[in-house]
Amino acid sequence: MTSTAVEIVMIEDDEGHALLIERNIRRAGINNSITHCANGASALNYLLGADGAGTLHKGRALLVLLDLNLPDMMGYDVLELIKKHDVLRRMPVVILTTTSNSEEINRCYELGCNVYLTKPVNSDSFADAIRQIGLFFSVIQVPRIIT
Amino acid sequence: MTPEAARKRSVWQVVILTTAFLIIVAVTGLSLLLTQQLREENKYVVRSFEIQREILKIQLEMRRAESSVRSFLLSGSTDALQKYEESIGEIPQILAELRGLSGADPGQLDAGNRLQTAIANQLIKFEDAIRIGKAAFAANPALARPDIPDEPTISQVREISTKLFDEETRDLQENIASADNTQRLVSRAAIAGALLVLLLAGFSAHLIRRSLRARDYAAAQLRHSNDDLEIAVAERTADLQEANHEIQRFAYIVSHDLRAPLVNIMGFTTELEQLHGTMVQRLGVLAGLEGKPDGAAPSLAEKDKQLATDFLEATGFIRSSVEKMDRLISAILRMTREGRREFTPEAVSLKELMESIVTTLAHQVSQADATVIIRDLPTIASDRLSLEQIFSNLLENALKYLKPDVPGLIEVRGGSRPGYVIIEVIDNGCGIALKDHQRIFDLFRRAGKQDKPGQGIGLAHARALVRKLGGALTVESQLDKGSTFTITLPTELPQIGPR
Repeated sequence: MTSTAVEIVMIEDDEGHALLIERNIRRAGINNSITHCANGASALNYLLGADGAGTLHKGRALLVLLDLNLPDMMGYDVLELIKKHDVLRRMPVVILTTTSNSEEINRCYELGCNVYLTKPVNSDSFADAIRQIGLFFSVIQVPRIIT
Repeated sequence: MTPEAARKRSVWQVVILTTAFLIIVAVTGLSLLLTQQLREENKYVVRSFEIQREILKIQLEMRRAESSVRSFLLSGSTDALQKYEESIGEIPQILAELRGLSGADPGQLDAGNRLQTAIANQLIKFEDAIRIGKAAFAANPALARPDIPDEPTISQVREISTKLFDEETRDLQENIASADNTQRLVSRAAIAGALLVLLLAGFSAHLIRRSLRARDYAAAQLRHSNDDLEIAVAERTADLQEANHEIQRFAYIVSHDLRAPLVNIMGFTTELEQLHGTMVQRLGVLAGLEGKPDGAAPSLAEKDKQLATDFLEATGFIRSSVEKMDRLISAILRMTREGRREFTPEAVSLKELMESIVTTLAHQVSQADATVIIRDLPTIASDRLSLEQIFSNLLENALKYLKPDVPGLIEVRGGSRPGYVIIEVIDNGCGIALKDHQRIFDLFRRAGKQDKPGQGIGLAHARALVRKLGGALTVESQLDKGSTFTITLPTELPQIGPR
């Protein structure tokens, strides 16, 4: 990201995963602010605002890191709502989840996710993978939200 | 046999039997007819001979008459005249016989009349000659000669020949009667034989019809119970498949939910190890040691070193356990993914499939110093990928579990039965004890000496796949005596119900 003004919104219900992700992104040298939402409702509230207009973050660049296994709703419902929203639809959404089912993958891309990543479990892969993701983030161009 | 075919067969039976019956009747009738004709013709033959005899008799008497007349003319003997009278006395009787034998044949009647006329003319001539002779002798008695008595030899000849003739006539009558009898017997025998044959034919036809009817009935029963059986099997299969799907969905969800905590355990173990590194450094600093110029950790006192090592040992165990758990979960996931995969049936030559698997396993084959023989195998319509997985698994196992000092011999052979094929994978390896025959098919379970790598997944997966394909996988084995794995598969992939 060319500007440290890009905010990473991490929607992840597992505290352990959230912590690991944040730590390793930081280790990749990313210093942007990371906002953590623990469920779908609070995430949508944060992104769309109480009125659902999404004007809360006008002028800012947001990147969403979304896990599919949320406690209160399915991750792809959040994805759908974001991608169908006039204002927020251009916001990059990176799915980061344990599922590697091809049906799920297809469905997410169908709904418009920008990237789909599977959380690896073995040995150091997770930390490495998150670090790679962090490095990857550092070169993505993120659009600003305009209304 | 279908009712249509049974009816056709019935019609054929009737046609054949009727033809046979007609033939027998025709042949018998013909032989009777011919026998009858033979009798008639025999009668004609006999009659011809009798006519000939009468004609000869007339000729004889005429000759005698002639000779008597000559004799009288020569000698004037009254004996001769007497003989003449005797001879012509016979003639009317013979003529009457002749007329009787000729019957109504106009040609013969006409001939008979002409003969009679000719004889009559000749007799007139004889009478004339006698009258002239009588007159001559009356006028001139000196012309008369004395009677020459008959030579006794002539009468002997006459007697003997007459006796022979009569005997022959008697024999002839007897032979005619006997021939007639024989012909009658032939007719009777022919009729009796024909009746017997017809009777036996009819009886055997009846027996055949009865047994065929029984067989048709049994076949219909079998078809019926087969249909019922098929319906029952289809229902059960649908139920089982539904249950199978549920289990798979469950396994899939569970393994994913189990993965999430693993991510945490692994991730934070890594964190711990990193913290450990930092702590060791801090320890070194606190202990007053300096860091090495190349940035390596400072040397610690022995007790502290031990702490560090113990720490890493502990995290090492956590790490390896998590890895193992992840492997197991991956295995389950893979199995359920396979279970959910749609099958694409295609014609698969099992022999080619086996050979390509063996080529893939060439390294293991040479390492195990084994020989793999693939016999002729049938072709089936099934899912190629599943078959590859099943047989790769079995062959890998066969190569893995050989006896260490015995060169491995693995044979794959199979055959067809109506509707399905049977394939056997036979090895001369270390075998499986009877108590373990169920255990080897359980997930994550193994048997025997645990000296070869493996998770205990292969056979469970193979059996599940084989079941899905509509077949069965069984084992025959004894410890130390090798194993035979038998796979039964339908020749055509069975229709799978809606998912």
